Amino acid sequence: MAALLGILLVLPMALSDRPFELRMMVVIFLYAMLGHGWNILGGYAGQISVGHGLFFGLGAYTSTMLSLKLGLNPWFGMAAGGAAAAAAGVLVGIPCFRLKGHYFVIATLVVAESAFQLFAAWDWVGGAMGLQLPVQEQGLLNLQFHRNKVPYYYIALGMLAAVTALVWWLERSRFGYILRALRDDEEAARSLGFSPALYKLLAMALSAGIVGVGGVFFAQYVLFIDPFSVLALSFSVVIALIPILGGAGTVAGPMLGAIVLVPISEYSRVLFSGTGRNVDLLIYGFLIMLISVYRPDGLAGLFRARRERRAYVSG
Amino acid sequence: MFTGNPAGRFVVLFCSVFWFGLAHSADEVRVGALYPLSGQVAKSGEDTVNAIRLAVDIINNKYPDLGVPFAATEGLPALGNAKITLLIADHQGSPETGAAEAERLIVQQKAVALIGAFHSSVAATSSQVAERMGVPYISGESEASTLTERGFKWFFRTTPSSRTQARDFFTFLRELNKGSKDQVRTIAVVHENTLWGQEFAKSVEGYLPEFSDFKLVADISYQQGTADVTSEVQRLIAAKPDVVFHASYDAEAILFARTYKQYKFSPRGVMAIGAAFGSSAFRQALGPDANFYLIREHWSRDLASKNRVVAQVAKLYRDRFGKDMDGTPARAFSAMMTLADAINRAGSADPKKIRDALAATNLAPDKLIMPWTGIRFDQTGQNDLTRGIFVQTLDGAPRMVWPFDQAAAKLVWPRPAGR
Amino acid sequence: MSGDLLVQLLLSGIGMGFIFALIAIGLTLIYGVMNVVNFAHGEFLMLSMYASYLAFATWGADPIVTLPFVAALMFVFGLLVYYLLVRRVMQGSMNSQIFATFGLMVFLQAAAQFIMGADYFAVRGGLLSGVLEVGSLILPAPQLAAVVGASTATGVLYWLVFRTATGRSLRAASQDRQAASTLGINVDRMYALAWGIGAACVGIAGSLLSNFYPVFPRVGAIFVLIAYVAVALGGFGSIHGALVAGVIIGLLQVLAGFFISSQLKFVPVYLLYLIVVLVRPRGLFGRL
Repeated sequence: MAALLGILLVLPMALSDRPFELRMMVVIFLYAMLGHGWNILGGYAGQISVGHGLFFGLGAYTSTMLSLKLGLNPWFGMAAGGAAAAAAGVLVGIPCFRLKGHYFVIATLVVAESAFQLFAAWDWVGGAMGLQLPVQEQGLLNLQFHRNKVPYYYIALGMLAAVTALVWWLERSRFGYILRALRDDEEAARSLGFSPALYKLLAMALSAGIVGVGGVFFAQYVLFIDPFSVLALSFSVVIALIPILGGAGTVAGPMLGAIVLVPISEYSRVLFSGTGRNVDLLIYGFLIMLISVYRPDGLAGLFRARRERRAYVSG
Repeated sequence: MFTGNPAGRFVVLFCSVFWFGLAHSADEVRVGALYPLSGQVAKSGEDTVNAIRLAVDIINNKYPDLGVPFAATEGLPALGNAKITLLIADHQGSPETGAAEAERLIVQQKAVALIGAFHSSVAATSSQVAERMGVPYISGESEASTLTERGFKWFFRTTPSSRTQARDFFTFLRELNKGSKDQVRTIAVVHENTLWGQEFAKSVEGYLPEFSDFKLVADISYQQGTADVTSEVQRLIAAKPDVVFHASYDAEAILFARTYKQYKFSPRGVMAIGAAFGSSAFRQALGPDANFYLIREHWSRDLASKNRVVAQVAKLYRDRFGKDMDGTPARAFSAMMTLADAINRAGSADPKKIRDALAATNLAPDKLIMPWTGIRFDQTGQNDLTRGIFVQTLDGAPRMVWPFDQAAAKLVWPRPAGR
Repeated sequence: MSGDLLVQLLLSGIGMGFIFALIAIGLTLIYGVMNVVNFAHGEFLMLSMYASYLAFATWGADPIVTLPFVAALMFVFGLLVYYLLVRRVMQGSMNSQIFATFGLMVFLQAAAQFIMGADYFAVRGGLLSGVLEVGSLILPAPQLAAVVGASTATGVLYWLVFRTATGRSLRAASQDRQAASTLGINVDRMYALAWGIGAACVGIAGSLLSNFYPVFPRVGAIFVLIAYVAVALGGFGSIHGALVAGVIIGLLQVLAGFFISSQLKFVPVYLLYLIVVLVRPRGLFGRL
């Protein structure tokens, strides 16, 4: 663990003339963080959302609009973006948590798609043209870095570490225990005196808030957002796929998912897409099917199984 | 906590599968091309990249009979016949990916110039990277007006913006009305809701005060990739416009044309920006019903009557890629040729020198396959010598009908009813 | 506005609705039998549209003539998908099924582009490309065919599910897998059958759709979201629910597109879904 963190801390030096890999690491950190966010609701509380792009987009739009209209600092925007996303999560959750199974899945889908269409039509937030953040003096204060992108790497790594610690704590806390109880048997949890609605809403607020903060980071990283890049349904699906691939309901899952999925998609695009024949997506889709067949509970199961086997052998 | 070691191995594994930049020699000039090769507009991206491939092939190899610059020689003469190496990257229509790919092409693939990017949103972010890194960026088909309003020093655009193009719609109608009893007065705009369609609609609205003899009776923004356009067509029928202005991509162009026919909506003219209403897919899908649509084009085979190079390049494109060239590939071809001209005049693969040569570009019309009066960049990097044409599909073939004094075929107006 | 226009809008909306319904029926059947949502359903539609187009381009065969063959082909394809992929993820959670069919979706889309390119293809001048005129009203033939097709498909499925021995087995398998097995029902085969029939239904939809909608690798994505909402609105697993919901969606989007806003015409549809399931958490006709 410490070794891994050590490697990640010094990695940017090795990547100084490799912006592509540096950026890929940033994307991995960001996606892992989004996956953690999704995992709190989807993995631990068992509420499968395919609409988390909504919270990502809300975070990105909130900080960007605050910066454009009121000139507010992006760090403030980050707090506001996270809060706005969490609030939206609660608003979506209050009615939707009455729904079960696939009815809930489709509800998250239509809410996110409606938001996408409304933002694409809404001139005040730039409509389909999107919003461009003005280039400011680079530095931590403005959360903008132009020539050297390494600070983004450390910020993303720091955010991921913080969120990982949070989820790690959560998994061991009473709160996490209640969430899993809700997921496994809602009636039993209710009979023990826990209000399912309250705990699901708390999970949703936390989940959406984390994803919203990720959206703010993305907006500051690209300095341009539009509905197609931050609110599209396909992005919502990716946010869910990463922890599912890695292993839903585990701390390692979102990170494993991001470490595997992002490079597969990036390298296959770079290597094969020049053919114009979509070979990259062909491979990507095939691998996803393969993993789902051989690791139906995600990659985290791979390590757990081995660890248990090892424990068994040594025991 | 998760088991550090195996996960750590993953990181090490993926970080060690590094992207090895190809070793490259001094007698090549590396140009990065950013286009959408997967996703929604993969087809247009493919057609566009093909045109750039053709241009590079003409530059790099001998085409003795061809009348375009660099055809007679192998490579770029002023650089000791150095060849252009084209580095193609797929940005999937994502502004973030586009920026990342631009950075990869420049830093890791040592591209000295970039060309792209079809999507204006991607051109915006990727050209920002080029600007920051001091690498020239040329766009032959990204049309958002804002791209050249950013005060960039390294960004050049050969194509007219969609705002410039929208003006031609009004000019055309005004000329048509002159001395005609059958006056066009009312207009409807139908456009898809991404950047391109929205900007076109805004530009049309912006010209209304200047062209106050026309009235906008309907502005219909539909969702790109819609399943059904019945309600849109019913609104048009209710609004009864004389003319419809269209900004649509291929699938919806076919859907609209078919729905117009089903519900017998027959305005005097349908005028479209973009190639969709005149594309070969459109003509194949609609057969005789494809006739009489007017397309504000950048290029037409009919230009060959004045310029024999047009026919030669169109034939090469057709032979190699099995489909007819249209305005977007033609523009990408011209952008690549413009870039090659600048690199040659720079006499070096140094980005700064290429940039200065681009800024000093002054290409004569006889060197181009476009109907433009030349290529010359103004202070903002915009080519200010562009000119538009209208083509109309007649007997299944796109014919140039405007400017009227250069028309290759006579405009059919109004469209015969029932078509 | 005139009464004629309103009637025309209603008719057009219902006509489109039947097309949406036809796509949704196959999806709801699979769900009803085995509680799996097929995320690649839109790509099934895309494949059947390509099949119709290719038969047309190669032999000049009209889509209405090749419809039974396309449906049969899709039936086989459904079986293949079940045996090669879905069966292997059935022990897993809902997550792994979502994941597997999502992978299939990406794969099929990419495969279509790999083989056919990203170009747009369309059947021209098929038997169903015309319109029927009743007074001043216009009824496009593909929509009329969808009305017939969707109603027939619903009827046939009902007959199959509720009146035949196979149907009894299907229902048994869907209600209690274990109990069905002890009764000697081959549950695995029932699941495969559901995938086959579900795919055949979407094959019919694709054949009819190819009369007026161009086909390209991503065409499935355009219709599939509507199909999901139709299935959920009608109630997961309910065949007539999907039919009714499809028609409601068709109507609502035409009216919203005309009276409210074209680009936002599906937002009222989504709102309606939310309202309906908040009042009835199992959709219009579904079971919990």
